[in-house]
Amino acid sequence: MFTILIASGLLAAAPERPLAIHADKARLADGKVLEDAWVVIEDGKISSVRSGGEAPEDSAVLRHTGWISSGLVALHAYAGTPRAELRDTTRTMLPEARIAWALDPARPEVADCLREGITSLLVTPARQSLVGGAGAVLKTAGGTIVSREAQLSLGFAAMSYVSNRYPTSFQAGLAELERLLEKPSGLLEKAKEGELPVLFEVSERSDVMRALAFAKQQELRGALSGAEWTGELAKSVKESGLSVVLPPIGLGEERRALRAVLSLAQEGVPFGFGLDAPLSHPASLRLAAALCVREGLAADQAWRALSSEAARIAGVEAQLGALAEGQQADVVLWSGDPLELTSSVQAVYVDGRRAYTAEGR
Amino acid sequence: MTPSLPGLVLGLSASILSSACATAASPAKARPGGEQPATEVLFVRAERLIVRPGVELEGAQVVVRDGRIAAVGKDLAVPEGARELAAPYVCAAYLDPWGALGLAADARVDSATTAGTRAADGVDTYGNKELRLETLRAGVTCVRVQAGASARVSGLGAVLRVAPGLSPAEAILAAESALAMSVGLSANAPNQGPSFDFVDGQLVQRESSARGMDLFDRVGDIDRVVTAIEGGRSYLQSKIEHKHELAEWQKKITEKETELDKEFKKAKKDREKEEKDAKEKGKKFEEKKYKEDKRPQPPRYDEDNEVLGRVANGELPLVVQVHRTAELRGLLAATAKHDRLRLLVAGGSEAMNCSATLVERGVPVIVMPALVGEGAVDELDGADLTLAARLAKAGVEVLIGSGGGSAAASRDLPLLAQIAVGNGWTREAAFAALTVGAARALDVERSIGTVERGKSAELLLLEGEPLTNAGRVKYVISAGRVVLTPETK
Repeated sequence: MFTILIASGLLAAAPERPLAIHADKARLADGKVLEDAWVVIEDGKISSVRSGGEAPEDSAVLRHTGWISSGLVALHAYAGTPRAELRDTTRTMLPEARIAWALDPARPEVADCLREGITSLLVTPARQSLVGGAGAVLKTAGGTIVSREAQLSLGFAAMSYVSNRYPTSFQAGLAELERLLEKPSGLLEKAKEGELPVLFEVSERSDVMRALAFAKQQELRGALSGAEWTGELAKSVKESGLSVVLPPIGLGEERRALRAVLSLAQEGVPFGFGLDAPLSHPASLRLAAALCVREGLAADQAWRALSSEAARIAGVEAQLGALAEGQQADVVLWSGDPLELTSSVQAVYVDGRRAYTAEGR
Repeated sequence: MTPSLPGLVLGLSASILSSACATAASPAKARPGGEQPATEVLFVRAERLIVRPGVELEGAQVVVRDGRIAAVGKDLAVPEGARELAAPYVCAAYLDPWGALGLAADARVDSATTAGTRAADGVDTYGNKELRLETLRAGVTCVRVQAGASARVSGLGAVLRVAPGLSPAEAILAAESALAMSVGLSANAPNQGPSFDFVDGQLVQRESSARGMDLFDRVGDIDRVVTAIEGGRSYLQSKIEHKHELAEWQKKITEKETELDKEFKKAKKDREKEEKDAKEKGKKFEEKKYKEDKRPQPPRYDEDNEVLGRVANGELPLVVQVHRTAELRGLLAATAKHDRLRLLVAGGSEAMNCSATLVERGVPVIVMPALVGEGAVDELDGADLTLAARLAKAGVEVLIGSGGGSAAASRDLPLLAQIAVGNGWTREAAFAALTVGAARALDVERSIGTVERGKSAELLLLEGEPLTNAGRVKYVISAGRVVLTPETK
């Protein structure tokens, strides 16, 4: 599918030479399509993205028949950690826990994500805590932790409450959270100051409403995560300024859930897709987008939810999530439009290095 | 908790029979909920018409009359009074060879099914209207369903039309379509108790937990399949033998009768004499017995063996859900001597390890490109999205099915096919598998699968190429009626 045209003298200059990739089409951060695209990678970063013209002098050139895009960003993933370390069975509140401590990038499910074109994972604490600690953003190749404090998880769903440990009711839970935020320290203080986004783990419609009220009362920013039909409350969510992390949308998903995603888009609520991998297959990230597109979501909106918007929700939009100058060079070469399920991943570059290739697969 | 299937069967089959009679008696009416009159003539213009995979016409038209495709070609005249429809792409609608939509939920999860259980008797034409419309919108108009999907022997499947509001007679495209069985499918944690799911509002036992099993259970499973087929075969043999014996007997009777006719006078005299002698001696007179009087007895009727006999004879295909190499290899070896058997493998997660045998025996595999996460049934550990592509490359005939686990899954059949394409398969092969391939494997190729004259009008009118995001469904025609339009909510 793609060939590297090696100019003479490559060996001598190998590590420093820029790599210029030409693709028929490129999906940009806003979802727009760029034809006849040149993407130049230098020192692990994207140094230019443009249409037409020639490769910069002295660069290694790779011509790809197909599409190029930035790597996909999966929110709400459990990959890359031993599962037991995502949750604490005895303590309800772990305001100083950090998933980054538990990350093991060598775990096989991380490479599974890479093969599907996912280059960054927002690894999130399990939903069984009232305060779950901080999620972290992990690259799926090279082991880089992009952010050690991406979101602070707060449990607003029934599963955040366990019958044999205090608190056991929503009211007691809210009272405890309020108490913690009265004189906050550490991560809670950062959340209260607005420096750290909060991930409100919700499930039912009533959880969403409780979380919205709490966010307003405490003036917290962040995202609602895990409620299928959040979109049915799109207006209130829009007013709250919160974003939405959608739970994995799989095969056989009710149309109601897909319509709710469309309502979010219509209302202008930013949203990204949660993956829950390895509980769900990494290919379900792109499937979720395809299901929404089939239901009528605009292609550019679906693409943003897979990349730039997800990066923004994870708080790493300055570094990744877009095929744009200055961004970390996490790029995927596809056989066709990445929003088509019939397109396959041909190669993945992470931080400018080739991390995966489909050749011989 | 749920009504048993036999009860349901009685109730439903009665209603099917009565409505079938009603429809036959008065074809012009008696379509409960039908939105279009059956007599409406349709004229479909296609910028591009996919007649069958590999045969495409530019600027072609299709005439639909009385539920069937009446004409296909270029420069056809618009029949008088015909409703005209147009789309950039027109092709045959998709068939899910392994689905569940249209079957009553309790029939689907019935665990007491046998070979003679007919899925057609568990059909529910009234439920799931929303889901049916969504499935049509995805391009799927027909689904092969199976009662007792989680039982070892599921019984006779049926091919159903998905469109809501069809009469039972129209909803059932084929009342007998392949016998289904399954081998394997154990749970990850065999010792855990049964767990339950809500399926279409019904509480059903989850398949994975219902199947805690060990190695011997699995071997026993294969034995069960083979024993059943052999039982069916010997039943069939005794039926055939009986047929011959009966013919022979009839021949002998005829001979004897002729003989008796010839010597009628003498025989009559003899009989009278014997009767008289008996009377004189005060004995009871007994009629002379001939050995030809013994009519050969047919084998005792057995509804399961009736079906299994047809399967052993290749009249009905046998779909076996099997995933792992050990079971699949065992199954193929144990069925090798039944050369008439038409085997189809459903699932086949590890079928690549037996691909040579599958090719040699001409066994198609219905692949479900399952997005398997952690904690799935352990038979699916070997599942891989590239399975369809790899099997096809090895020469195995590949079909795509939605797995039969949920009524909602058929709606996503085209996406499953697209996933398989995204993992190395070709779009042409995927399209063929969803249309003519599935129809052929299920013996319904005469009625559906291509856009050809005489077939039932199951058509998709698309905005773009099939199996792409651009190929959105504009209109769907099923049983010759427009069952979905852009206005359908």
